[in-house]
Amino acid sequence: MKVTINQDGNKFNVILEGRLDTTNADQFQKDIEPLMNGDKPEITLDCKAMEYTSSQGLRMFLMLQKSVNSRGGSMVMTDMNPQVKEVFDITGFSNIIKII
Amino acid sequence: MKVTIDPIAGKSAQIIETLMGSEDMPQDPSLEFKLRLCVEEVVENIVRYAYKDGKGFVEVGTEIKDGALYVSFRDGGVQFDPLAKDDPDITLSAEDRQIGGLGIFLCKQMMDKLDYEYRDGCNCLTMVKYLS
Repeated sequence: MKVTINQDGNKFNVILEGRLDTTNADQFQKDIEPLMNGDKPEITLDCKAMEYTSSQGLRMFLMLQKSVNSRGGSMVMTDMNPQVKEVFDITGFSNIIKII
Repeated sequence: MKVTIDPIAGKSAQIIETLMGSEDMPQDPSLEFKLRLCVEEVVENIVRYAYKDGKGFVEVGTEIKDGALYVSFRDGGVQFDPLAKDDPDITLSAEDRQIGGLGIFLCKQMMDKLDYEYRDGCNCLTMVKYLS
């Protein structure tokens, strides 16, 4: 999974590309550390090129959402492919993470 | 197809690719996606938790029978019935959701049937997906 973070003040535009699974979840956690600090972050995760996520990946997104909530921020995931979206739907993650 | 990998420590990727490379696996990308996800969840659980230090075997297999794909896993590790666990409550808010317990739940939702039995000292898990 390639993670590209563009920051402008408290606004983060994050491009996710590739697969998120058990082999790279730890690295992903390190890669998103810049998103885990600061007040009222506004985070957009561009998922157009995200091909796959396992439950390990879901854990990461839940952890990030919790962190964002605790700091009074917002997070949205955009352009998710239908198969990845189904994983979020089945697990109820579509209810706790905003997906547009 | 039936393959035994021993020991399994650090071999998650190899076990997953062995199964996904089986000629029994459907070519349909949507089905392949679901199967890969479920295979990964089960393999990761076995590699992490079945044995202390991953010093043990897993036998994985695929078979097509009566219009269905059977994917099987057998290990001689600590007795564990993954189907006995309660499903996570997917209606809870982010704050109340537990981080974990999602893998096997995904398998339950995405496959048509899951069977577990403890037989001759081994955990035997079979996933069934009907092929239309």
